[in-house]
Amino acid sequence: MKKIKKVLIANRGVPAVRIMNTCRDKRIKTVAIYSTPDRLAYHVFLADEAVHIGEAPPQESYLNMEKIIKTALEKGCDAIHPGWGFLAENPDFAEMVEEAGLIWVGPPAKVIRLMGDKIKSKKIAQRANVPTIPALLKVNTVEDILKWMEEEEVEFPIMIKAAAGGGGKGMVRVDNEESLPLLLEKAKSEAKKAFGDDRVFVEKYIQKGRHIEVQICGDKYGKIVHLYERECTIQRRNQKILEEAPSPSINDDLRQEICFTAVRLMREIGYYSAGTVEFLFDPQTKKFYFLEVNTRLQVEHGITELVTGLDIVSLMFDIAEGTPIPFSQEDIFPNRHAIEVRINAEDPKTFNPSFGTITRLEIPQGPGIRVSSGVYEGAEVPPYYDSLIMLVMAAGADRNEAIRVMDRALSRGLRVEGIKTTAPLLLSIIRHPKFIEGNYSTRFIDEHYQELLAMFKEKTPDDEVLKIAQYIAEISALGPQSWM
Amino acid sequence: MGYIFVKPGMSPKEIVQKVRELPGVCLVSVGMRDAGQSDYKNRLRMYDLKTLAPYYNEMGLFAAECHGGARWHVGIMNRRESPFEEIEILRELMPNVLLQTLIRETNMWGYRPYPKNIIEYVVERVDIDVWRCFSFLNDVRNMRTVAEVVMKRGKLFEPAISYTVAPWFDTKYYLKVVDEIIDLCGGTDEIILCIKDMAGVGTVTSVTELIDAIKQKYPELVINYHRHITDGLAMPVLLAAAKAGAKILDVEEDTLVRFYGHPPILAVEALLKEHGIPVNLNRQAAEKAVEKVREWIRDYEWSESPFKGFDHMVTRHKMPGGAFPSSFEQAEKGGFLHYMPYILQVMSLYNQIVKYFDVTPGSQITWVTCSGIVNRYAKEGGEEGVKHVIKLLKKFVEEKNQNFDAMEPEEQEELLQLFRHAPGDFKNLILGHYGRLPVGWPDEWVYKSTFGDEWEEKIKERKEDSPLESIPDEDLSALRKQLEDELGRPATEEEFILYLMHPKDAIDYIRFREKYGDAPLVLPTKVWREGLKKPGDKVEFEYEGKPYCIELVSIGSETDGFIHVVLRVNNKTRVFEVRTPRAKKEEVKKATKPNEIGAPISGTVWRIGNPKRGTLKVGDIVHKGEEIANLESMKMENPIVAPFDAQIVEICVKLNQRVEEGQLLFVLQPIEDAKMKEPEVEIESMPH
Repeated sequence: MKKIKKVLIANRGVPAVRIMNTCRDKRIKTVAIYSTPDRLAYHVFLADEAVHIGEAPPQESYLNMEKIIKTALEKGCDAIHPGWGFLAENPDFAEMVEEAGLIWVGPPAKVIRLMGDKIKSKKIAQRANVPTIPALLKVNTVEDILKWMEEEEVEFPIMIKAAAGGGGKGMVRVDNEESLPLLLEKAKSEAKKAFGDDRVFVEKYIQKGRHIEVQICGDKYGKIVHLYERECTIQRRNQKILEEAPSPSINDDLRQEICFTAVRLMREIGYYSAGTVEFLFDPQTKKFYFLEVNTRLQVEHGITELVTGLDIVSLMFDIAEGTPIPFSQEDIFPNRHAIEVRINAEDPKTFNPSFGTITRLEIPQGPGIRVSSGVYEGAEVPPYYDSLIMLVMAAGADRNEAIRVMDRALSRGLRVEGIKTTAPLLLSIIRHPKFIEGNYSTRFIDEHYQELLAMFKEKTPDDEVLKIAQYIAEISALGPQSWM
Repeated sequence: MGYIFVKPGMSPKEIVQKVRELPGVCLVSVGMRDAGQSDYKNRLRMYDLKTLAPYYNEMGLFAAECHGGARWHVGIMNRRESPFEEIEILRELMPNVLLQTLIRETNMWGYRPYPKNIIEYVVERVDIDVWRCFSFLNDVRNMRTVAEVVMKRGKLFEPAISYTVAPWFDTKYYLKVVDEIIDLCGGTDEIILCIKDMAGVGTVTSVTELIDAIKQKYPELVINYHRHITDGLAMPVLLAAAKAGAKILDVEEDTLVRFYGHPPILAVEALLKEHGIPVNLNRQAAEKAVEKVREWIRDYEWSESPFKGFDHMVTRHKMPGGAFPSSFEQAEKGGFLHYMPYILQVMSLYNQIVKYFDVTPGSQITWVTCSGIVNRYAKEGGEEGVKHVIKLLKKFVEEKNQNFDAMEPEEQEELLQLFRHAPGDFKNLILGHYGRLPVGWPDEWVYKSTFGDEWEEKIKERKEDSPLESIPDEDLSALRKQLEDELGRPATEEEFILYLMHPKDAIDYIRFREKYGDAPLVLPTKVWREGLKKPGDKVEFEYEGKPYCIELVSIGSETDGFIHVVLRVNNKTRVFEVRTPRAKKEEVKKATKPNEIGAPISGTVWRIGNPKRGTLKVGDIVHKGEEIANLESMKMENPIVAPFDAQIVEICVKLNQRVEEGQLLFVLQPIEDAKMKEPEVEIESMPH
């Protein structure tokens, strides 16, 4: 059994920093890679060593597989952890890593490949008796779709999804027959452009659906446990921005059923490492449907860690080394409620990216708060990558307490100056009565957008005093002004 | 509390009764408004003025004039304070004191007549107890809407007669105005009459005679005498007014008194007492207020008028105290401060040719017209040219008694050009757009001089109605939408009212406050004006109940148009980036070719197009003489007219853009074979 003493982390920002924290706990040495604009990034400081990997475009840096592997070998690493995003779900890269004699901290490459094809993964799910959304998997023409709809008694709206998509990307909603031909073409050409694969499939659209996913851990000896579920229904543009565990939309019976269904599926495909099975839950019929498997560490894994007390990244390293999972399903007792929000460098009203220097950063603290940051005060947020700069998590004995802690974290603790962030929107969400009731769907933000905007607190005394200071700065520098 | 005899919340009737019952006189302190307007260009900030409020609260004043006049406009434009904030602050600090505004009938707190629905909308929403309202034409008809709304709200209406001393404004004339006022207000029980001697020219004899006459006709009418001190003779006249029966006198803190404002409160009290007239004043509190002023008044030395000292010649040129500082300011900015004495001489002749009262907006019309004449002669003939026109006017007015035919033909020619370049508002004035002139329209030659060949037509257009009758209501929701589109967010009621009065300056103000927050309210005047000077200098203040301290660490040197300033804000070091004017400088395109229309003066493009056809766009055909835009400069309108029949190729400015002299406004394409119409100067000027 090869021990991991040194790992290359093929990522940046929040995931790289998160993994390095556990590496430090485990006394695993870390090698960071960085692109030119990331030269002074937080993950570079935190690593034991850092290597310049290329220019800003991801293709030349964080997606440059050969160079990353070469660097890992040169630096004497035993393993590569891909984090999330970038190369995390690239089976070719996983194979290359292993072929180079390095340990891949993740699931087997063939599982990644299999689950990456959304049509194949759906078929496997059906084989494993996992419920799937009624779908037409072979789509050539508009007529195919209409015929299928008639036979299966499916009505509009329907979803067209890219076979190679996933993670909320490559999805088109079709509301009526008139727009179908155009949208089918659009979906195909977009899939071609984004994934190099124009295969699409069609699904029934689940109204008011909720996103529930199950965290899985499996070792290389066939042992698979679940770490319970997370609710990820609050999304904007099909991207999650707030997650919580446990899900407020299901009861214990459903919880058991959905978790064991996930384990069954993962066992069927021979999964090991950490991974997630995503479901869409229809609150009207209380039915849940398989969506996809995320063959990697997920952004929102932290709330599962908060409710279970486990370190999933640590488990990934142990599993990768070949250590058996040292506990069994019965040992896992989630005993808290946790919420996570994603602080993105974005305008909270328009979601347009907001790049620049973080001139001031105050990080929330106090009981029940966990922060996973990818930046520091003075850091630059470059325009080339994901806009996630920080995860703020809050835990409490129950959901209400967790919401209160999160409110404190966002309204009294967090302060980011120099760039705009999604924080005001997130604060509005957790203060919204429908959210507090637990009554929401994936369309929550769209449905309540104006109310949420209206809840933005426009003024805080601190901000107001900075305006006054700006005035003093200008007059001190320029002297009395003619307009006075 | 023995001195407090009137309070907010009392009905007008009750207030009037309380004043009647007073054994002697009571006082209005104008320290928070007209004092600052007369000697400090309206720059006295609420930060300082509010330190007087606790004393005012105990002084037993009739009212504190703290609102209106030009304080409104200068507040948003220069001090960046809103009149609404000021009211709110004062209400809290001096709940015993009636707050008084000064409103210019249909012109309100702006400079143009507003339609009835705007007047109603605004007057209904401003929290003021005493509404002193004047007409610069003494056209009482123009006061009707303000009077109605104020009286309906149960607030005290205080109509003012604009007062000056001139042969044609005799006691009989003023009595007629008072009759009209009493008629408008339905008696004497719910109003107070103000005699507004805004230049400070009333004499012991003239004021005694007027008040006597009024009191004989209306013995129950409460009279408030308001007088500036520019002629140096205010004190005896104030005493005479009190003896004649004026119950209320306007004063200001002794330490605020300079040369163009009002008599000193402590001195007035002493003088009246010596003459056996009781004064309702808590002298101790008044003394403290007077002392308090000393703590901050030196921070305003920069805003005082460059010409100091009394000036008895005010009885000739009649420039009101309130107009002095802004006139000096404009003369200084325009680089013609040295011509001030000549301008005042021209004014003293002009006001005999076109007779009205030199108070806003009349004073601006007089000022821009007369300074325009002087500047034009100065440009052509230097100081000699200026002396020449004064000689000409003197001969015409003083020797020939304004008999146009008695002048030599070439002098007649010259007079016929005198008003050819007069500002749009002068034209509006003599065409009756503000109301009737107090003692009749000017002579025909003035119209010939102003309008050239079209003079007869123009006289036919002249309006005899009050603007209240002739100005159509405006679409308030459309105006509100305009503002909200500009701001990109919903506007508050108060922001909307600011916008109704001064559209462009209100937006500037709102933007300023969005950027700099409450800096105008919390910073001491020295820091407000000069910032922090050397490292270690700091300013401490409370904001929303918590202490703050801002300390200067360093000011960097300029690089690429930016200066970095390091401040410690509550002990945390922060770097602020300051754009210098160099960084801001954008190239201004000038009009150079004959088909390019430039701005004749620096100002603000407040209208593109004209009221008749609305706004203009590229491709529109315009005719020679048609107004295609209008600039506001120094509070005056300046129409830009098409020099020939043309098609608009390009409009190079946006609405409400500030432009400098010569800046390119339009590119026109002449229409060669277009039928030449008679040149038409479009001067109908109603607010947009």
